[in-house]
Amino acid sequence: MVLKVNHLSSGYGNVKIVNDVSLEVNTKEIIALIGRNGVGKTTLMKSLIGHIKSSSGKIYLHDIDITKLSPAKRAALGIGYVPQGRGIFTRLSVLDNLRMGENVGGNPRSTNFERVFQFFPILKERGSQKAGSLSGGEQQQLSIGRVLVGNPELILLDEPSEGVQPNIVQTIGEIIRRLRDEEGLTVLIVEQNLDLIGAVADHCVVMDKGSIVTQLATKDLNNPDVARKYLAI
Amino acid sequence: METFAAVFDVIYQLFDNIGFLILAASGLVIIFGMMGVINMAHGELMMIGAYITAFSYHAGIPAPIAIIFAGIGAGLVGMILERLVIRHFYKQLLSSLVVTWGLSLLLSQGFLIIFGPSILNVPTPFGNFPIGEQTFGIYRLVLFAVAIAMVASVWAIFTYTKFGTRARATMEDPDMANALGVNTGNIYALTFGLGCAMGGIAGGMFALTATISPFFGINYTPLAFITVVTGGSANAISGLISSALSLAGIQTGINNLVNVYIGYVAMIGAAFVILLILPKGISEYIERRKIRVRKVTNK
Ligand SMILES: Nc1ncnc2c1ncn2[C@@H]1O[C@H](COP(=O)(O)OP(=O)(O)OP(=O)(O)O)[C@@H](O)[C@H]1O
Ligand SMILES: [Mg+2]
Repeated sequence: MVLKVNHLSSGYGNVKIVNDVSLEVNTKEIIALIGRNGVGKTTLMKSLIGHIKSSSGKIYLHDIDITKLSPAKRAALGIGYVPQGRGIFTRLSVLDNLRMGENVGGNPRSTNFERVFQFFPILKERGSQKAGSLSGGEQQQLSIGRVLVGNPELILLDEPSEGVQPNIVQTIGEIIRRLRDEEGLTVLIVEQNLDLIGAVADHCVVMDKGSIVTQLATKDLNNPDVARKYLAI
Repeated sequence: METFAAVFDVIYQLFDNIGFLILAASGLVIIFGMMGVINMAHGELMMIGAYITAFSYHAGIPAPIAIIFAGIGAGLVGMILERLVIRHFYKQLLSSLVVTWGLSLLLSQGFLIIFGPSILNVPTPFGNFPIGEQTFGIYRLVLFAVAIAMVASVWAIFTYTKFGTRARATMEDPDMANALGVNTGNIYALTFGLGCAMGGIAGGMFALTATISPFFGINYTPLAFITVVTGGSANAISGLISSALSLAGIQTGINNLVNVYIGYVAMIGAAFVILLILPKGISEYIERRKIRVRKVTNK
């Protein structure tokens, strides 16, 4: 098991959002976390990387208790965080953005730009350009590529399809699968895009009002009633 | 010869004024221009640099090395202040203003109590050279050269080093930088310390031209802020250079057409006008132009 979340609760100030969430992600799994807008998916992701403190519960990466570690330490242990909204450093060049990923996995000497360019050739082409001038799809690729420069084991992807044109969403889906199949990565992905979920997820975990309410097989989402119930569509 | 001397005089003044503004602002351009901290105590860090320079010099250390000590000392003091005080007030403009103002009073009053109202000055080195009837101090030109060297190093550090990349990323989005494994606390302390070190070096350079007292900093803080704010933070370095050029240009021009005081007032007036027209400073305008030019050439 790569990630194990035990009865985790968190929120903003006194407002509790994530409520008693337990979750497991096994090695080389791609798990989709789905749920309507505002149910707390991003809040859970922020708790996993450590941007917000957990009020109770535990988070384990392998057997290491990371609940109290800083985001930087979690990254060094191998969590690659690709946030909703992409978190690009707009004033840095594409290459400098990529360089920022070298601490992921805690071994900056083993950085691998070529691997990233092989997955995302556009980033090589745009290397010296200011990242803020990239299109939404290119920024998303940069955000994923950035954590791959380091050596992540688990990637947290928060709505990579948001604001990205359909053909690029498809490319991103293919790359997520290849990352798992060829590189042995584990992925927890928050998504609302049915095509992308269908293309990558092994199974889905459904969140509602801050809690995990059920698990689904990916193919269950082919049923429009089920999809409508759990996704904002 | 007469006219040549007159022209040279104006150019010399221009260089002197540009050098003064850039040097006074070279640390603040990091602390305010890049980090966004209104550090009212910046002048007091320059003052610390001046004291370190004077004490080292009178202990027999050559002036250039004394000035390097000033940079190191002010940088260390800066890092300590950042860890103890400043870091609690990022993103809180008013609080940081009040707190750093308090620090500036503490430092100047503290130095007054410990070292008295003034200390032994350091003589200005290098002497003069004559042109026509007039003589010009060589050290003023050295100040200009050092000012240029300092902005060039700040630019190179932030553009080409790993620390620089991390610092720029951290200033833009600290949470994201942290989530990528960067210890942002260290980056803030180092960046603030670097700004203070630059201030310390500038203070050390000015110590060779000015009276050194606990209130030394007051001569520099306002002009440093005016220069940095007029430059804006869209690109702090190009902003600093363009604002120093324009402000010093106006000051020198009016100074020669009217007199020193009106020249000074005109410079501050010019800063007001520039900020009225370009509220985000000159560099924001330059960056916008660059993007527009790029869009046109891409077509
Ligand atoms: N910084 C914040 N401070 C206070 N409340 C917040 C903050 N960010 C989000 N919230 C609230 O927390 C709740 C959950 O938000 P969250 O962003 O986790 O939802 P989400 O499931 O990711 O939604 P979406 O699908 O729209 O991205 C919402 O009610 C939101 O208003
Ligand atoms: Mg979200």
